[in-house]
Order: sequence, then C-alpha cells, then structure tokens
Amino acid sequence: MPSLTLLGQSVISGLLAGGLYSLLALGLSLSWGLLRLVNLGHFALAFLGAYLTYHLGTVLHLAPWLSVLIIVPIFFGLGVGLHAIFVRFGVTEFTSLLVTFGVTVIVESIIQLVWTADFRRFETPYATASIKVGPLFVPTLELLTCLTAAGLAFATWAWLRFTYVGKALRAAAEDPAMAAAFGVNHRAQAFLLSGVSAAYAGVAGGYIALISTLAPSQIWAWLGVVFAVVIIGGLARPIGALLAGLLIGVSESVTMAVVTPAWAPLVSFSVLIGLLVLRPGRV
Amino acid sequence: MLLEARHLAVAYGDAPAVWDASLSVGEGEIVSVIGPNGAGKSTLINAVAGLLRWRAGELFFAGVDLATVPSHLVSRHGIALVPEGRRLFTRMSVEENLDIGCYRGQARERRRGTLERVYRLFPILRERRRQLAGSLSGGQQQMVAIGRALMACPRLLLLDEPSLGLAPAVVDRLFEVIQVIHGEGVAVLLVEQNVVKALEIAGRAYVLEEGRIVADGPPAALLEQSHIRDAYLGLRET
Amino acid sequence: MRGRRRLVAAGLLAAGLALGALPTVGLPAFYESFLYLVFSWIALATSWSILSGYAGYFSFGHGAFFGAGMYTTATLAAAYGLPFLWTLPLAGVVAALLACGIGAVVFRVKQLRGELFGLLTLAITFVLATIVLNTPIDGGPGVYLSGVPMPRLVGSPTGTIYLLGLGLAAVTLVTAYAITRSRFGLGLFAIHDDEDVAEVKGVPTFRYKLTAFVISAGIAGVAGGIQAMYVSYVTVAETFAITVPLYVVLMSILGGARHWLGPAVGATMITASLYAFTGGESAVLGRAVVALALILVILLLPDGVVPSVRRWWFTWRSGALAGGEGRAHRVDHRLDPGAASASRTPLAVTPRVPAVTSYGDAAPGSTAPPLLECHEVWKAFGGIQALRGVSLTIALGEIVGLVGPNGSGKTTLINIISGHHGADRGRINLAETRLSARSAHEIAGLGVSRTYQIPRPFTHLSALENVALAATFGPGRCSARQARADARQWLAFTGLERRAEALPGELNLHERKFLELARALAARPRVILLDEVLSGLNPTEIASAIHLIREIQAGGATILFVEHVMRAVLELSNRVVVLNEGEVIATGSPREAMRDPHVIRVYLGKAHAA
Repeated sequence: MPSLTLLGQSVISGLLAGGLYSLLALGLSLSWGLLRLVNLGHFALAFLGAYLTYHLGTVLHLAPWLSVLIIVPIFFGLGVGLHAIFVRFGVTEFTSLLVTFGVTVIVESIIQLVWTADFRRFETPYATASIKVGPLFVPTLELLTCLTAAGLAFATWAWLRFTYVGKALRAAAEDPAMAAAFGVNHRAQAFLLSGVSAAYAGVAGGYIALISTLAPSQIWAWLGVVFAVVIIGGLARPIGALLAGLLIGVSESVTMAVVTPAWAPLVSFSVLIGLLVLRPGRV
Repeated sequence: MLLEARHLAVAYGDAPAVWDASLSVGEGEIVSVIGPNGAGKSTLINAVAGLLRWRAGELFFAGVDLATVPSHLVSRHGIALVPEGRRLFTRMSVEENLDIGCYRGQARERRRGTLERVYRLFPILRERRRQLAGSLSGGQQQMVAIGRALMACPRLLLLDEPSLGLAPAVVDRLFEVIQVIHGEGVAVLLVEQNVVKALEIAGRAYVLEEGRIVADGPPAALLEQSHIRDAYLGLRET
Repeated sequence: MRGRRRLVAAGLLAAGLALGALPTVGLPAFYESFLYLVFSWIALATSWSILSGYAGYFSFGHGAFFGAGMYTTATLAAAYGLPFLWTLPLAGVVAALLACGIGAVVFRVKQLRGELFGLLTLAITFVLATIVLNTPIDGGPGVYLSGVPMPRLVGSPTGTIYLLGLGLAAVTLVTAYAITRSRFGLGLFAIHDDEDVAEVKGVPTFRYKLTAFVISAGIAGVAGGIQAMYVSYVTVAETFAITVPLYVVLMSILGGARHWLGPAVGATMITASLYAFTGGESAVLGRAVVALALILVILLLPDGVVPSVRRWWFTWRSGALAGGEGRAHRVDHRLDPGAASASRTPLAVTPRVPAVTSYGDAAPGSTAPPLLECHEVWKAFGGIQALRGVSLTIALGEIVGLVGPNGSGKTTLINIISGHHGADRGRINLAETRLSARSAHEIAGLGVSRTYQIPRPFTHLSALENVALAATFGPGRCSARQARADARQWLAFTGLERRAEALPGELNLHERKFLELARALAARPRVILLDEVLSGLNPTEIASAIHLIREIQAGGATILFVEHVMRAVLELSNRVVVLNEGEVIATGSPREAMRDPHVIRVYLGKAHAA
C-alpha cells in the first residue's frame, strides 16, 4: 500500500489530468447531445490544434495563449464547414460516425506527413513550475487546464440553462419540429453549435500541446477515455462532463499508484463498457 | 378572415391525407373541425401550423400567403400550436417549456405579463414550474402545452385533439380555459374527436371525412343531423 | 436460370483451382505475397459483413478478433511449440469464444444498437490491446516467431501462406454465399431493417445475432493466425492498430455490405490501389486516401459498388427489352420513387383462398372453447397507466372487434399479446399455453400473428420476401422454396401478386397495408391481431377488405381486430369489446355494445346519451 502522501499526490494529478479529459469531452458532449451527430473528428481536431500551437510556438515563437487566440476562430470555421458537408449530404447520426472516422484518419495522416510520427514536446519555461501545498505538488500548467475546464464547463452550463439560444438548442435536440413551430431556427443554430464545439477542441488542443508529448497515434489513445467521459457525464451536460472527467482522472491515477501504471488505460474503458451494458438509457 | 384555406391537399407519408379542404377562421372566432379517426384532422392542422407542406391549394393568414413562409417563421405571424399528444420538451422544466413558447421577439418582450397570465389560468403550473415536464400527469402536460402556446401571444391558437387520453373532468376544465382564452380575443381553431365538447364551444364547425370537408355550419344544426352521430357509432341503417 | 448459375459456379471453381495451382508453377514471391494479402482482406471484409452488413450491427472491433487470433497463434507457436497449422483452428476458436462472451451480454440489451454498439466494439479492441500488452502474452517487446518452423505445404513458405490465405478466402466466400441464400441470412437481413418486427415475425434475433458474430469473429481469428505466420514478428501496436477496423468497413461498404461478393470486390480494389503506396511516407498517404475514399463512398454511393453495378446492368438490360413490361425482374435494394404508382389501384375483388390450416371445426360463438384469453392485464408506461386490468376471451373461430377512443389502450393490448412489451401484471394464454413472459419470436412460433397500424415492412426486402419470411419463420417452419410458393399465394389472396418483386417503398399506402395482412397470414397463425387495417382505404377497398377478412375467418382463423371504421366492425364482428382509458367498458354483440349508454357517452360526449 503506497503512503498517504503518494496517494494524495496521485489524487491531485488525477484531478488535474481529469481536467484535460473534461476539456476534450466538453465539445464532444455538446455536439453529440444537441446535434445528434457523433463527431470522432473532434479528437483529430484537438490534436491538430495541439500541433499548430506547438508549431506556432517553436517556429514563430508565439506565446501559447496567442496561438490559441488565432486557432479558435479558424477552428470555429472548420466546425461550421464540417456541418455544412453533413447538411449537404443528409448525414444521419450513424453515418456521421463513419464519415468522421474517415476525417480522423485523414487528419492524422496529414499530421504525420507534416510533423512525422516522432514524439514532439513543446518546451515552455513554465512547464515544470508547480505550487507546493503542504507535502503535495500541484503543477501550474495542469492546474490552469483544470481551471479552464471548470470555467468553460460552467459557462457552457449557464449558456444552455439561462439563455434563449441555449434553451432553444436543448428543445430542438429533443423535438426539432416543435421547436421550429415556436420560432427556433434549428438549422442556423446547428452551424453555431458545430463551430463552438470545434472551437472547444482547439482550446483543448492548446493545453494538450502544453502538457503532453505529441504523437499522431495518440489521437486514438484518447478516444476511448473521452467517449467514456462523455457518456458517463451524460450527453449535453457540461457539468456532468466536468465531473466525469475528474472522476476518471482520479480513478486512473489511483490505479496507477496502487496497481501498475500499465493497467490505467483499462480503467476508463472498463467503466465505459460497464456503463453501456448496465445503464444504456443514459445516451 | 384571419385564416383562410382554399382547396388544401396535404399528404405526408402514412398519415391520413387531406384531399380538398376549404375553411376559414375569423378574428376572435372559435371554429371546430370534427370527423372520424383517420379523416385527416391532424394532418390539416399541422399544415396550418407549418409542420407539413401542402401539395395543392392555398393558405392565407392575415393576408400573408403561408406558402412563402418557412416553417420556423410561421409562429412569427401569430399562429401557435398545441399539438396532438402534447409534444412537450420532456427533459426541460415546465418554465423552460413556457420560455420556448415566447421565443419569438415580440412575445419575448411580454414574457413577464404572459407568464403571470398562464400561471393564473393554471395555478398548479406555478407550483411545479421547476419540475421536469416529462414527469407531469397527462392533464398537467396538456396545461403546459396550452401555456406554451399562449406564451407566443398568438392571434390564432391551434388545438389538435386536446381531450385525447384525458379524464372527463380534466377535459371540462380544459374547455373552460379555452373559453377564457377566446374571451381575451384570441381566435381558436380546434380539431377534436369529442364531438359534443367540440360543438358546444364552437361558433362554427366543419365536418371532415376522408380528407374532405363534407358539412359546415352552426353547431346546433350539425348536432341535429343524426347521420353524424350514426357515422361515429356505425349505427347507420343501410 | 439454373443453367446459368451452374455455369457461374463452374467458372468460379475453375478460377479457384487455377489460383491454387499458381505456387506450383513458380510464381514470384512478390505476387504470392500480394495475392495473399488480397485473400486475407477478402476473408476479413467478408466475415465482417456477415454481422455488420447483413444484420446492420456495425462493429468497429473486428481488429480485436483478428488480434486475438494472431496472438493465439503467436503464443502457442512460440511459447508452447505447437506446429503452426494446429494453431489456426485454435485461433479461430479463441476469437469465436471472445465474440460469444461479448455478444451474450451485449445483444441482450435493447438499447445497445447503432452507434453505441460501434463505440463499444471500438473500446473492446483497446481493452484487449491493453490486456495483451500488460500480461505475459506479449508483455511489451512483442513475440518473435522467426524461430518457429514454417509448414511447407508446397515449395516455399510464401507459397504455403498463399494457399492458406486462398483456402480461407474460399471458405469465407462459400460461407457468405450460403448464408445469404439461407433462412438464417433472411433473418439477418430482416434484423437489419427492423429488429423488433423481425422478432415478432418469429426470427430468433438474439440467437441469430450471436451466431453471426461468432462466425464472423472465428474467421477473423483464423485470418489473424495466418497473418502471424506471415509477419513472424507480432507486436501489439501493429496488431491492434486502427487499420483492420477501418479497412474492413471501407472495403465492405465500397463493394456492397449486403452482398456476399461485395466485400471481396471492395477488398481487391482497395488492396490493389494501396499497393501503389508502399513504404514510409506513402503508407501514411495511402491510409489518408483510404479514409477519403470511405467518406466519398458513404456520402455518394451508400449502397456500394456491386449493388450499383447490378442495378445499372439490369436497368440497361430491361431498357434494351420491349418497353411495355420493362421492370427489372430482380429490382435491387434501392428506393425508386419514380416507379411508385401514386394512384390507388382497385383490388381484385375475388381472391383465391389458399387452404388455411384449420385448428378445429368448432362453430364460432360463446360455446366454443376460448382460444385466446387475457386475464387482468395491467400495463403502465412511465406515469401513464395504459391498461387497467383488462380481461377478455376470444373463442376459437371468432372475430372480435376491439374498439374505443384514441388512447384507450387498444394497440398497447395488441403489443402485449404479440410480445412487443411485457405486461406488468396479468396473464395471457393461448389455449393451454401461457404467452405472457415469453419472447416475441416464441409467441409467433405458437401461432400468434399481427399487423401494424402504420405498416412496418422490411424496406430492403421485396414484397415476396417479406411474406416468405413470415411463412418460413412461422409455426409452419417450411422450406425456403415452399415459403416462396406460399408467399405468392398469399400475395394473390390480397391482390398483390403483380407487385411481388416490388420494394415496400414503391407501394402506396393501401398496398402496404395489404402487404402487412399477407405477411401476417403467411405465418398460418391460429390467432391474427389486426391493427386498423382499414384506415385510409376508400369505400370500395373497404368492401374488398371486409370480404377478405371473412374468407380468412372461413379458413379457420380466429381474429381480434382493432378498428375505427364502425361499419366494418358491425359487419364483421361476432362480438365487440369496448375499451376506454385502459378499461373494458362493454362487451357483447356489436349492436348491443354500441347502443350501451356508457359507450355512446364515451364516444360522443355527455349530452348525447340517447
């Protein structure tokens, strides 16, 4: 049994890692829950954002926050574009899975062609900075990620809960015809939502660049965890995505400390499988 | 005439078709459309509400040709629908459902006043405003559906089989409310399988059979016609 | 037709033998290698489509079974010294068992269809990869097989692998062909279109899905085993990469996932194209191109190459024939709105009644023994109480009309009797056998058949196939040929014999309603539940339909029918049961029941109680 300090440290790192999961899950949860389209490409987009941040940072020496500021509007546009293709070809919930599957592979290949399959690390001066809380270390970058995730989650929640557009989105997700009967232009809003979701992917990508090592194959590694987070947290539930991400992060981290690190990826998949089998009505 | 339909033909998938329906609703009138099941009553009212496109004929509302208006803009002209089976947004609260009702600009400004009005009509909704719409009883859901339509401050209220699946006492209360709404100047087009209730409340009525209007006039006249009663009960002596 | 089929089979056999002989004539190893890959992908893609193409359960986990097979062979050969050839069947078995375990759990859960099933299978692949990576099976460095002796069936090792690949591909294609021609395959296609209706028509959906999954996985496992021999160095990263799931999906969809040869065509096309991108950067580019192809195919050619080609071929041929009768004999799986007849054609008023099996000669009436009995049936959906203690009995040979206002619970009752839902409380018996708590396909097997208020035909099957399916899965259990013959008779009975080859999308509403009826009758049921068969018909059609229903009763069937067309209810029913708000409020002869004051009040409202 590891010491209390070690356990505490792993809980902290789990929470912080979970923050990144939540950040990734947020956009996906929104688009899947409100648009009824499964966008596997979300991951590829996030990683594209990560590589772009890395590239802008190492080649043009742009500060990460500046890169993100540039990336977000571009990705918004990409999201709108993708949705335009969906609309043009009448893509359904299921075919969206297949099409975005293809998109993910294409983006992964592009990334590999441009940046090669080698592992890349975005070195920043504040990468190793951390705050000391008692015997525990809290890395600042990860903390920032977590706070961003929480902030975005709450902002999204408030947007969905309190604004007219948010309520309209929720209504249209359930019964688009009835929502239209009361004036909700679901078509236009769907484009907005697709763009927002892609923008979230861009933001997540920025943080991925700062925290993780990058490799094209990593796209698939995150896929299972994040889908687990989305489903566990409930579709189109930003706070749920936040909490689920933190939960999964901590579970993985503690598993790594108590058992061996190699089994950690199994945790989220197992939870996902278990949940899908036992409570599939959530989706 | 506020609403005018001329020789409307609507066909949609497996829904009963409407072949030739002409009717009109004047400012502040209550008009009922009765007919046996499968006659096309729902199809007709869904076309007026903008949920279905029609194949032939014309539909005018306050002088505007509705054929030129996309579905999500129909409500802007002042038409609100209480659909068959309620079709509430079950995962949202009662008050959120009402909020969707006043989504369109002009209605949104008057939200506070209209909301008060709705809660006065249906006090129980005030109690349950934060409850999920899906968890309410049938009668309460119908109240939310009517309230949602009222929030749009409509000039014409469309009701599709409001009594469906509800207990008689609830139905009575519902029709009282419809009278009150009508009293405030809203025109009502009502489609119903409950013949007596529909004819009691209406100023004028139409009979729809197999997609065609076969009779119209004041309710008293229609009630006298025993053929209507027999058509419903199948007791026609052939 | 048969002669042509024999010719094709002979041709394929000749081609197969020619291919088999190639290694012996000294084919360069490069070609053997390339052809082996083609064969391997043919086997993988075709096996994938057995579940995912035919039954519609898109699996992203084919890589898991392939990997399981690869590692079984690798482990058994390297660690336990088992000869390669012996490991192959074991590889298949391990993969099959894995599928069996997963399927047994997953296929029972109704909501795990569509995207959820896809995601689940994707997740399972990664779980398996992690397990393999973290246990002594692999442990990290991979498994080296270079020290293991290769079998030598013929000349070189590549030649042997080539032959094994060819053999597997041949077996897989034969299996796929056999399945598509069999009752099992018909059931899978029905599951694809509408699983719930298939179950109600007698298809044992759970068993069929599981079987398809197991066969599919087993073949993938063997393919994996052979691949282990081919690469001779097995790693987790390579084995469980996204390549296998991605490629099999694309190959099958490109070629046509519902056709036995489709995936093979797709596999050949893709493998050949990919060979243009060998090595290093090109491999990455190749993958991107494959993905792009997938996207384009899904968006633009959703049916796939093979069905599209067949369709163009048939349209071309029928266009070349005389214009009058120019409808292709075998219309392929695609809606053709242009061909739909918008007008309502009058029915043939004198149908020929085929011999319906009589289950007794008792005259209808209350003295006959009850055939169907519902006792105190309760059912609630969420907060809504749909049925409150409904009890009714139907005697042998009776026609009972079930009437009541909308929302009174009529369709719910029919759903419960036929097994769509279970009752919360209460008992339902068919003669002495208990129906409640049985699965829908068992109930169908006992002789209960139903129509749907809004017709739910299997959209990709022709009218004939729809009816034949019911015949072959009904209690009669007849052969495929007998089923088709019966189906023609039933279509003639309902006046649809000229539309036998049409797809449901090409039929108008009343034709689809009569298709429902024919399909319900083809199962030769003891009890038929008709749900608003007459709604939407004009008076002439109603008259014909009433005549039809009388003939059905004369043939010995017992009928419970829900109807709003009162005229029909009065003419046809021996007895009437009136439901209101989930309760029975009146039963008796039609005239009696409809003059009951309570009934009048319910239908017309208070003031009208005469």
